[in-house]
Amino acid sequence: MGLEQYQGDMAMCCRCSACKFIPMQKVQGAKYSYVCPSIARYNFHAYSGGGRLNIANWMLKNGFNYTEKLLDIVKNCQMCGACGVSCNYAMDMEVLEPIQEFRIKTVEDGHTVPALDKVIENLRKNDAMVAGGRTQRGSWAKGLKLKDATTDRVDVYYHVGCLTSFDKNMWKLAQSTARILEKAGVNFGIAGATEICCGGRAYQMGYREDFLNQAKKNMELIKKSGAKTLVTGCADCYQAFKVLYDKYNLKGDLEVLHTTEYFDRLIKEGRLKPSRKVDLSITYHDPCRLGRLGEPWIHWSGKKIPGDRFVFDPPKIYRRGTNGVYEPPREVLNSIPGVKLTEMVRIKEYAWCCGAGGGVSESNPDFALWTARERIDEAVSTGAQAMVTACPWCEKTFNEAIKSSGNNLKVYDVVELLEQAI
Amino acid sequence: MALSKEVYREFEDVVGPENISDDPAIMPAYYATDFAAVILPGNTQEVQAVVKLCNKHKLKFRPICTGWTGMFPKGIVLLDLRRMNRIIEINEKNMYAVVEPYVISAELQAELFKRGLNFCIKGAGSNCSALLRGHGHMDQTTSGDDRNHLAIEWVTPEGEIVRSGSLGSIGEWFSGDGPGPSIRAILTSAVPPGVTPGVFTKAAVKLYPWPGPSSFPVVGKSPKYTLSEIPPNMMARYYSFPSVEKMWKAEITIGENEIAYELMGFNAAMVACNITTCNEEEEEVFKKISKEVQGPGFFIIIGGYSAEDFAYKKKVLEKIISDNDGKSLKMVEDPEIEGILLCQCTRISASIRETFRAGGAFNSIPIMGQRDLCIKWAIGAGKAKEPLIKKGLIVDDGGAFFGWGVEQGHLGKTEIFCKYDPSNAEAKKAVEQWQKEQTMRAFKEHYFASTMGNLEEVGPALCNFHLWWRKITKSLDPNGVSPEGGALV
Repeated sequence: MGLEQYQGDMAMCCRCSACKFIPMQKVQGAKYSYVCPSIARYNFHAYSGGGRLNIANWMLKNGFNYTEKLLDIVKNCQMCGACGVSCNYAMDMEVLEPIQEFRIKTVEDGHTVPALDKVIENLRKNDAMVAGGRTQRGSWAKGLKLKDATTDRVDVYYHVGCLTSFDKNMWKLAQSTARILEKAGVNFGIAGATEICCGGRAYQMGYREDFLNQAKKNMELIKKSGAKTLVTGCADCYQAFKVLYDKYNLKGDLEVLHTTEYFDRLIKEGRLKPSRKVDLSITYHDPCRLGRLGEPWIHWSGKKIPGDRFVFDPPKIYRRGTNGVYEPPREVLNSIPGVKLTEMVRIKEYAWCCGAGGGVSESNPDFALWTARERIDEAVSTGAQAMVTACPWCEKTFNEAIKSSGNNLKVYDVVELLEQAI
Repeated sequence: MALSKEVYREFEDVVGPENISDDPAIMPAYYATDFAAVILPGNTQEVQAVVKLCNKHKLKFRPICTGWTGMFPKGIVLLDLRRMNRIIEINEKNMYAVVEPYVISAELQAELFKRGLNFCIKGAGSNCSALLRGHGHMDQTTSGDDRNHLAIEWVTPEGEIVRSGSLGSIGEWFSGDGPGPSIRAILTSAVPPGVTPGVFTKAAVKLYPWPGPSSFPVVGKSPKYTLSEIPPNMMARYYSFPSVEKMWKAEITIGENEIAYELMGFNAAMVACNITTCNEEEEEVFKKISKEVQGPGFFIIIGGYSAEDFAYKKKVLEKIISDNDGKSLKMVEDPEIEGILLCQCTRISASIRETFRAGGAFNSIPIMGQRDLCIKWAIGAGKAKEPLIKKGLIVDDGGAFFGWGVEQGHLGKTEIFCKYDPSNAEAKKAVEQWQKEQTMRAFKEHYFASTMGNLEEVGPALCNFHLWWRKITKSLDPNGVSPEGGALV
């Protein structure tokens, strides 16, 4: 693997600028037409998906000149993948993969960002993406008497994730999830203090080796637990376990489900019955790594067929965001009596990012908050009282942006509303 | 060719430090060359100040918008107009909209649909500037080229702000010709190299009635969007004909009866591009369609302003098609395919599928004029493609051309593509040779092709326009700072 393998894809970029906008059929006016936070904020073409490909391709041929500006371009991208979806409406080419490889190359060449180095240092020391002592990881579950997946026999391993484990404001998500699972009679367990980071965010930041270390350790832990199904409420963890582990042939036959997928299944099986009314008008924010980037990895290797077209033997199937997780969270929300869901303009495969991904919330928090404020403005335009999401990183970033902008929009996770209804 | 610190600071004082860069990392995103700097002006005054500085320091500049075209010489100052992205006004009563250069067509059109209006979107696609001049799929009812530009605000190569037509006299945008200064011939010139120098900072574009919905009911996931239902009083079909003559007869009769909202002379290959989601599928569908079509054809959209109007237009269409032995392509009668074509071919959202998807590059020769005559030329250009197809150098589209009616067939445009892999040097050379030879043939046979380049040969045949144009540009741009033009790209 490496940037070189995407030279053909990068050369396909025709600078049409589609990567900056939501798919053209979906543009509903002058507002909310942009899909890429980076180009919307920084304006130079270099900050767009196409711009990044053009730079990478040029530098691959002419040498990598790591100026301060180049590092600024590389780091100020949430790696949200929206550029790829818009491009791939029309084009057959990889977009996010070469951008990811470019970032990995930057790290491997030693041109890192101090703020992200600090995050990775903590990961190496504490197996966590956020600050907090290793022993504190399971504190959220104190008093809940949950099974220990590392010692007890369980069917479902509930992976909580770093942010939910260490940020006291997010404990409610894990606690709600645990209570819902109990109500449904699921035989589940947690790893508590022995849970470790999935490594997904390290991968987004370009630290591939650290990601792989975490992945290997996690799969060993899960194997020991005997659980065949992993459930998580964090979109970053979800994408790491389901997509990235599979990409690197580490997932095996582990079934990976997001809480919204699992709860949707339990509702449909009649094991959960949302019956209490929750009177609330809401809009739903699709987390990037549950939505477009949550679609399964497609294993492929082949060669370009010589000739006029950019086609391969065997044919290459592109991940265009088509098969992300869009309906389960909506199904869960629509099953709650009293909840009125109004959609924003930018949804599903072309949803606007919350701003937290790709290390941006750590390396450039102002940009993360700017991105979140754009989304909050869009949510408010629907007339909803609350924005509901399905990822702690989104919820945290939105709440911080709301706090700094004085808005009174409420933010919930799907599990919070579901718990109120059952 | 870097700017000195002092000169850089002068530009920086105009646009602010966030909006200028001479960092080498910025350049290759735009083009594989070294620009003196890339500057992002935010309004007309900033454009003017930047242009004046370019004159002061004798620096060549070039503006761009979304930018999938153009040549960018080394050492120029690149003005990326991305920050100038405001819709200034939509005047429903007088049917015009005023936009800045980086308003894309999809944005303006979506706003217009809500008001029962539409405008000419250029064939390059709705991801391009709404200010862009040129032709497109809907020319049958929305016309094309300079005929859609009303008043224009223009920063000349020397940095003067010129306001044309009614804007220059009474501050209104409704006319490009008067009351006030009409400089249409300069502002909208397309004859090579007569792409107007300077920077267009705002323009009023003409609006037209829209018989369709306020927004299309698009469902599904990318790349397979469909419509949940065909909007009322709308219909899309593809008809093929036993001969060019019969197709032309049908086209002109449709125009005389003013029944088509859109008449796009797609060939079978372009239909396949539009309705498929990847290259492999496109090849397969093209083969399938090729077996079903009986000859050249066109795609047509009928839009009624009432149920009665729609029924009338449909009936007239059926008669014309029948009179000329036209045959409807069954695949397009499928509501799923019909729906997406209705949406794509009015929202102009699949141009990239038609052009770049196959191999990554295409060369084109567009010919403007009466369709039946242009088609005769295009058949020859298509035959000249056949050896390239046989050698596998270009995408096999059956050697076909395409085109469309303009203003109900008063005018027309015919165009022919060669799509290829630009990394294949042999293919690139062969396509360039084909383009050169066929353009020269067009010139000799008295057609107008916008790819005509050698002015010393072309100019004398056209009243020595090139000598006049050189005098005009010399007078507008005495310092030679805006040689590339491209103001509406």
